[in-house]
Amino acid sequence: MNHTCGTPMDPVAEIRGLRVEIGGRSIVDGVSLKALPGKVTALVGASGSGKTTTGLALLGEYPPGAHVSGDVRLAAQGLAGYIPQHPASVLNPARRIAALLTDIARSQVRRLPRGERRAAARERVLHALAEAQLPDAETLLRRYPHQLSGGQQQRVVLAQALLLGARVIVADEPTTGQDALTKRRIVDHLAAVAARGIAVVLLSHDLDVVRALADEVHVMRAGRVVESGPAARVWLAPRHEWTRKLLSDQPRRSEPDGPAGTGQPVLRVRDLTARHRDGDRRTAEVLHTPELDLYPGECLAVVGRSGSGKTTLGRCLAGLHRDHDGRILLDSTPLPRSLRNRSRSQLAAVQYVFQDVRAAFDGHRPVLHQVARTATRLHGTDERAAVTEALTTLDSLGLPEDLVRGRPGRLSGGELQRAALARALLARPRVLICDEITSGLDTVTRRDILGIVTSLLHDRGDLSLVLITHDLDTAALAHRIAVFDAGELVEQGPARSVLTEPSHPFTISLLETTARLEAGVAE
Amino acid sequence: MSGVRSFVARRLLLGAAQTVAVVLLVFALTEALPGDAAVALAGDQPDPARVAAIREAMNLDQPAWQRLADWAAGLPHGDLGTSLVSGRPVSQYIADGFAPTLLLAALTVALLVPVGFGLGVLAARHEGRLADRLISSVTLAVYAVPEFALGILLVTVLAIQLGWLPPTAVGYGADLLGHPAALVLPVLVLLARPVCSLVRLVRAGMIDALASPYVAQARRYGVPRARLRYAHALPNALAPAAQQLARTVDWLLSGVIVVEALFVIPGLGTVLLNAIAERDVPVVQGLAVVFGALTVVLNLGADLVALRLAPRTGVAA
Repeated sequence: MNHTCGTPMDPVAEIRGLRVEIGGRSIVDGVSLKALPGKVTALVGASGSGKTTTGLALLGEYPPGAHVSGDVRLAAQGLAGYIPQHPASVLNPARRIAALLTDIARSQVRRLPRGERRAAARERVLHALAEAQLPDAETLLRRYPHQLSGGQQQRVVLAQALLLGARVIVADEPTTGQDALTKRRIVDHLAAVAARGIAVVLLSHDLDVVRALADEVHVMRAGRVVESGPAARVWLAPRHEWTRKLLSDQPRRSEPDGPAGTGQPVLRVRDLTARHRDGDRRTAEVLHTPELDLYPGECLAVVGRSGSGKTTLGRCLAGLHRDHDGRILLDSTPLPRSLRNRSRSQLAAVQYVFQDVRAAFDGHRPVLHQVARTATRLHGTDERAAVTEALTTLDSLGLPEDLVRGRPGRLSGGELQRAALARALLARPRVLICDEITSGLDTVTRRDILGIVTSLLHDRGDLSLVLITHDLDTAALAHRIAVFDAGELVEQGPARSVLTEPSHPFTISLLETTARLEAGVAE
Repeated sequence: MSGVRSFVARRLLLGAAQTVAVVLLVFALTEALPGDAAVALAGDQPDPARVAAIREAMNLDQPAWQRLADWAAGLPHGDLGTSLVSGRPVSQYIADGFAPTLLLAALTVALLVPVGFGLGVLAARHEGRLADRLISSVTLAVYAVPEFALGILLVTVLAIQLGWLPPTAVGYGADLLGHPAALVLPVLVLLARPVCSLVRLVRAGMIDALASPYVAQARRYGVPRARLRYAHALPNALAPAAQQLARTVDWLLSGVIVVEALFVIPGLGTVLLNAIAERDVPVVQGLAVVFGALTVVLNLGADLVALRLAPRTGVAA
């Protein structure tokens, strides 16, 4: 994409010297940026770098109790739209789509005579839906938000912004935690928005998406912009060290060394069919896995889009999802379906690390205690020994003692994820299931965590990993890859052959989309 | 929506089964009580021969299951049985008692809904400020006072000391509407606790909803404040309140025994109390059927309202 040519355009929104402080600590410090019509301005940085606070400032919103100085200006009638990370969160669950959109249109038709307002509002709503590429508007308008797919929800949120007549749209991590195909769709939508002459401010730590979309890039760190400039320049010749560090995180498709997958499988899955109950009426089959083996010391990546059943597979293995047929064998002994019926050694053997790490820790107890508890609970270690063991393990994962003696609130997402790994390791597991453990993290932290996971495979010889992910770069760390689509195991094999010579059409499309995103193409 | 229709059908079937279970339980419990209607009728110094004669005349000498079966056989024809004590049909008892109870319940609900929702929304609007703190602390305090204590307090102060209102409905019979002053105290007592729980529920729901991302988004996009409050936030706050309201209506319609006894109102609660004292099993059973059916229908209605307000939860029975 090109940047400003010749005549400078007037920015539709501009921030000058913005400083936001809470309790004397500055979250954003001296940030300036311009949002130009038809251009995508990206704010890039790790979580906690002040991107969201800056973005929300464009909407005139600040965190409670914040002390704000500096200048935020929007062009005359500069209406700002907002696309959040989770579109469902901004759609009122108790109101139909028609009501959600008409509420915005209503204030725009107030000048018309009373009798014409309704028809005019409806026309505007239908127009906005068409612009947001939502076909079959009549049916859609009668639905409630929860009856729409994630993609439709995202487009409804977009339609809201278009209906408002927004001159600038702030998109906050729109692709975080999404699979490659969904990311691709979101990138297309945002590109189409920019093509309409709307200024897009993209807040993201997803470098693929930034590369595909951005005209201007501002790199943020600890509340400051450390580098900014046209995307092409920042990408090719980063000036600041932090930018280089951020960019150097390009996927290294490192081959895991040493052959794995020899000897007796540690875990075998046979004829697994898992269901979800929907109320008490219907059951939906969500997963079908005829055969899947996990060998000692092996890393198996389970890959698929959201909703493909990959998490359900992990939950079945860990005994968290009871409603399934088929057998899961640990060393050829069948594992009971429910966690409750498993013995302590069986519980210790299969450990699970969750995606939402904040929810996986009790916010009121020190991290150290929660980590040490695993050893006490599953191996009967006495408390003092358990604490010592926990400290050693936490330290080996780079978490110092004074940090882990605090409560989870003091740790960042990445640190807490390391603590979660430590907690699972204290069980001395044979199988460690990592469910999207990096999907909410920024690139630098993600690299750290994946580094730890890889080193675990080296250091703990017989530990087997199940890496559940939608991210093919993460999957490339594994020895073998199993690809799931719509609950079916569609392909499995050595990582290299799946990634280079995929046989199933779904795998091929997944790989192609990722490749296109990485190449930064947004037509 | 066929899903909703089959949900209603299943809930009604389940409700019928629950009502049958309640009737069986009530029958078994009254059987287990010492003494029966014959003993109660025979007076203070029962002559065993007389008791036996009464028992035979009332068919009480038949086995329990047969009496139950005879009574149940009348049900499909709408015959709830005959009172053992007076020989009048049970349906007449219920019809007589229903009018005062319905009147009290209707008046209470008519005041409960606007006051409860209004104060709840008001408190949420002023969260943390004077109005909210006042409403929250007063509702908590009033909620902590049981009906009978509040009733006696109000009677003592307003009726006996100040003489503003009649202390009870004695002498007015079933014609309560003709003497509205006699209704003020009972309605106040009935209103006290339900209003408090409703206010607190609505307040909490509104505060949650007003802080939600979807209300923030609507605010961002220029939806007017009043619309934000009543069209966006309130529906989400109402679902739990609707269920609570159904339980309150059910409680009111089943004759609030304490309040009816305190103010001597001849409603269903009084009928039930007398029937138990006289071991008048058919009347007790008839009331159990009516109360059971009411409970089933009201809760079903509340679930349907909640489904409309929170469509995401779906139907679960």
